[in-house]
Amino acid sequence: MKFSYSWLCEHLETDKNATEIGDALTNIGLELESLSDYSSYSKFVVATIKDFKKHPNADRLNICKVDDGADTYQVICGANNVKKGLKGIFAKEGMYIPGTQIHLKKGKIRGETSEGMLLSERELNLSDDHEGIIELSENFKNGTSAVEALKLDDPIFEIGITPNRGDCLSIRGVARDLSAKGMGKLKPLKYEKIKKLEFESPISWSIKNDDNSCEYVVSRYFKDVNNTKSPEWLQKKLISLGLRPINALVDITNFITVDLGRPLHVFDADKVGKKLDMRLANSNEKILALDNKDYTLDVSSTVIADSNNALAIAGIIGGDHSGCTENTKNVFLEVAIFNPNSVAKTGRSLGINSDARYRFERGLDKNMVLEGLEYASYLINKICGGSVSKNTDAGKLDTNEHKIKYDFNYFNKVIGLDLEPQIQVKILKDLEFQINERSDNECDVLVPSWRNDVKNNIDIVEEIIRIYGYDNINVSVPSSSKDEIYNIENSLVNKKFKTISKLKKTLVSNGVSEVITFSFHSNRAQEILTGDTSLKISNAISDDQSFMRNSMIFNHLESAELNFKKGIKNIQLFEIGPIYNSSQSQENILSLLISSQDDTNSIYKSVNFNFYSLTELASKLISSLNFDIKQFNISRSTSNIYHPGQSAEVHMGKKLISRYGKVHPLIMEEFPKLKNTYAIELFFENLPIETISRINSINISDSQFQFSEKDFSFIFEKQQNLYEVQRYVTGIDKNLIKNVEFFDLYESKDLGDSSKSVTFRVTIQSKEKTLEEKDLEQLHKNILEKVSNKFKAKIRT
Amino acid sequence: MDIKKVLNEATKEIEQSSNQLDLQNVKVAYLGKKGKITELLKSLKDLSLDEKKSTGAELNQLRGEVDNLIKIKFNQIKVEEINSKLRNESLDFSFPPPNSISPKVHPISKTFDEVITIFGSMGYSVAEGPDIETDYFNFSALNIPENHPAREMQDTFYIDDKDKDGKPFVLRTHTSPVQIRTLLNEKPPIKIIAPGRTYRCDSDSTHSPMFHQVEGLFINENANMGDLKGTLIEFCKQFFNVQDLKVRFRPSYFPFTEPSAEMDIAYTIVNNKIKLGQGDHWLEILGCGMVNPIVLENCNVDTKNFQGFAFGMGLDRITMLKYGLTDIRSFFSGNLNWIANNGFSIGDF
Repeated sequence: MKFSYSWLCEHLETDKNATEIGDALTNIGLELESLSDYSSYSKFVVATIKDFKKHPNADRLNICKVDDGADTYQVICGANNVKKGLKGIFAKEGMYIPGTQIHLKKGKIRGETSEGMLLSERELNLSDDHEGIIELSENFKNGTSAVEALKLDDPIFEIGITPNRGDCLSIRGVARDLSAKGMGKLKPLKYEKIKKLEFESPISWSIKNDDNSCEYVVSRYFKDVNNTKSPEWLQKKLISLGLRPINALVDITNFITVDLGRPLHVFDADKVGKKLDMRLANSNEKILALDNKDYTLDVSSTVIADSNNALAIAGIIGGDHSGCTENTKNVFLEVAIFNPNSVAKTGRSLGINSDARYRFERGLDKNMVLEGLEYASYLINKICGGSVSKNTDAGKLDTNEHKIKYDFNYFNKVIGLDLEPQIQVKILKDLEFQINERSDNECDVLVPSWRNDVKNNIDIVEEIIRIYGYDNINVSVPSSSKDEIYNIENSLVNKKFKTISKLKKTLVSNGVSEVITFSFHSNRAQEILTGDTSLKISNAISDDQSFMRNSMIFNHLESAELNFKKGIKNIQLFEIGPIYNSSQSQENILSLLISSQDDTNSIYKSVNFNFYSLTELASKLISSLNFDIKQFNISRSTSNIYHPGQSAEVHMGKKLISRYGKVHPLIMEEFPKLKNTYAIELFFENLPIETISRINSINISDSQFQFSEKDFSFIFEKQQNLYEVQRYVTGIDKNLIKNVEFFDLYESKDLGDSSKSVTFRVTIQSKEKTLEEKDLEQLHKNILEKVSNKFKAKIRT
Repeated sequence: MDIKKVLNEATKEIEQSSNQLDLQNVKVAYLGKKGKITELLKSLKDLSLDEKKSTGAELNQLRGEVDNLIKIKFNQIKVEEINSKLRNESLDFSFPPPNSISPKVHPISKTFDEVITIFGSMGYSVAEGPDIETDYFNFSALNIPENHPAREMQDTFYIDDKDKDGKPFVLRTHTSPVQIRTLLNEKPPIKIIAPGRTYRCDSDSTHSPMFHQVEGLFINENANMGDLKGTLIEFCKQFFNVQDLKVRFRPSYFPFTEPSAEMDIAYTIVNNKIKLGQGDHWLEILGCGMVNPIVLENCNVDTKNFQGFAFGMGLDRITMLKYGLTDIRSFFSGNLNWIANNGFSIGDF
């Protein structure tokens, strides 16, 4: 909310300057967002055009002789209001012009020297007006500063009001809060009640809706008014807030909205019927509102209507048809209490953000209904003349004030500060709460009518500490207890974060960079990966971010493409983050992408990255978590992310632990620039995380005795899963067989389409002795026989 | 017999040997079974006892000297041969390596790690909750009823799918629903932080539709606002690594805390860069407050015996402040150059 210092001072008697007021505002929770400061404008001064003549080379320019009281200057000016004797605001060469953000340079304009500039309001950032240069009254002396001449010594505050503080959506409300902080004294409102309410209003009210959306409405009829332009003081006030003056009646309602926080509405009484209703809108009822837009209402919205039409959307905006113009002769003023909920709901569904809605949905001071009526009547009568009717109303104005039983000790318990009851009581009284003390520890607090947000003890504690000052709260740092440390050590989530850190370290030390991408993916990705369609974001920002991702692969391919376009040829990246299987199932996984495009560097690159390099990396990742990939069941992957012939899946029981492989060519069609692209997904949350920190891999204790190696070659069926062979061979003699390493795979026409030749090396070592030749031979024979029997494999010689 | 002559001849022949084979031949010629020096030693047997003694000593010395000269020469020849071989193996040291991106951990990961460590030292364990939340957990349970203006403080993403109340699921707009989930599942005392992804439909250089927050919740019999202030000041000192840190707590409003506060850190501008800690300018760091008893009651916590505080801060924001980063969108662009320039190597992680 915006207001000027001088306007604030109409409500607050204060000796504090703007900076002190600004600090206090922030300290009581009305955060100062900006405080305008025009002090730098004192370099611009009043100057007179002594004489001018047409520019010889440009029709629209004039050469002016300008006197700033100290000297005369030649100024080329293109404004159409140039005239002899005009007093304006002058900027000399070298000065910075805030509105155009340039430094004035001495120069020639179409061959004629210009030594400065006469300024428009826009060039001073005071308004958008660039119609001509500023014209001042003749009374100002040349050389007077612009700050004085333009009355820029009135600072403008802009403050943020939190949704609970509807009472501070008015300058009076802000002044009231400041007075409680000791920043001054709240002045009484200055107006006179209309002495004579001369006649009965010809228009009457009835409240027809029973949903409580309108509790009370009261009106007065003004006869024979003269709706002119507003007086200067009123126009200036509205302009100071950036509002456009329209006509007196409209300006008065806008003024009261800001000044007292009380929205009200004026109807042109000759454009509405004699009986007005508060009623729910009809289905598809239409109204052209004051913002010149057509709105279609539904049955949940409340309207003000006569027997023919909806005239206004209650608490939100008036109708165009019944609004006041300069021709309005008779006026019907409406002041009502609308339910914050229904105003909010209607306002949001129609997308209207009006000053009235903003205030109604934050709750209004019910005691301000009649005061607002009186204040508005006074201003209308004073500015527009005419005569005023008696009140006409409907509904019931319930101004019962809320009473809370308050315990002084509660403050000390919550805030950690012993604040004596007397001090607490004083603060509450300064805030105009009424206090009836019941005992040393307790009192009854009567909440003022404008504080709808204060409902219980904790709200009162907040009021006291807000004024007493957050700076005065003692600081203490609670230390950690043994129980807490135990909890941390045993927390599964803590363990999970440790696991994540381990993975990150492993990957970065293997040359892979970490990225973080959005949890979304595109329509296209969703289509290709056939994710759950109910994961569509209803109000997505763009088609590229329209679904919750069920895989990170697309995000990473997009990232790879971006990096490729930046000239990076070998892309290795990973992300640890969530994927979403349904609205109630998400899991954190590791997803890694390797895409190597560069085959030109024959010197540094020995082997191309391939599926087997990927397998090695997957195995390393799993080992970094103290598991051994060979412990798990490994099979071909059926995921549509991967190339069906170059991919694998790792399972523990039914749980998926990892998938990896070459990215499916159909997906890669979307990214034609990328080649040779592989991915690994590690579903680390499916690993038994509670044991994850324990060493869990195969026992590889050292033996000091000599070891022996023997190579075996077999011809297997092509479909034979070699992990099974490896596991089986290892199991043939667990004491002696240390290691089974596969190192050759050979397929050829000679072997036939359904066979493959595989060689592995078995390392044999005893912990007890150096093995003799005959022991070794026995074991070799054993391996040959068992493997060929078990897997129907041919021994190759 | 001229021992000196033999020595001179041998020395000369050794000197003239240019490879191992030549040298071996010299060795045989003098020290072999039929070598000159061996023959001389054999002829000793014909001499008298006195001559044997004196000549024998001279001959033994001669044999030792020649043997030593051969060994020295042998080593020389070997070194030269290796050197000559190495000259042939020479590679071009000046062939530059390929440009590679230095792999780094994302700055947000570093912040996650530090936040967990610092709060861990104060006794906070880590909790978590889903990104796709129910309307109830994200709003209503946190005392943000439908049509409340506070809902408009946050632009919410909705999911097509609806929850059991018939309301569309939301992408959590803050990490605060983890407060509710924890309060419902655990009995006080509770001391947790919950870092994670959060979402609001907003996108410019300071807003990203996805960002990160950490939530903190401490509930016991007497955790008060002084404890809240102390905890957060301590965190900021450690995180920003500034011991002399000027801070400000000012009243604010969040429906789920009461009293509520925002915490600002003082800063100055030095050489066009923000320097945190002291100065006349303020930077908003986080929101916090005493947990509103309404929230505790929503979670069936006995408010007569338990109270506490909660806080929430933007992890991207504090990361940007700490490292002087300006555009939040670059965090999530997947640009590897950006990561290489702004990320952390494992030694620093």
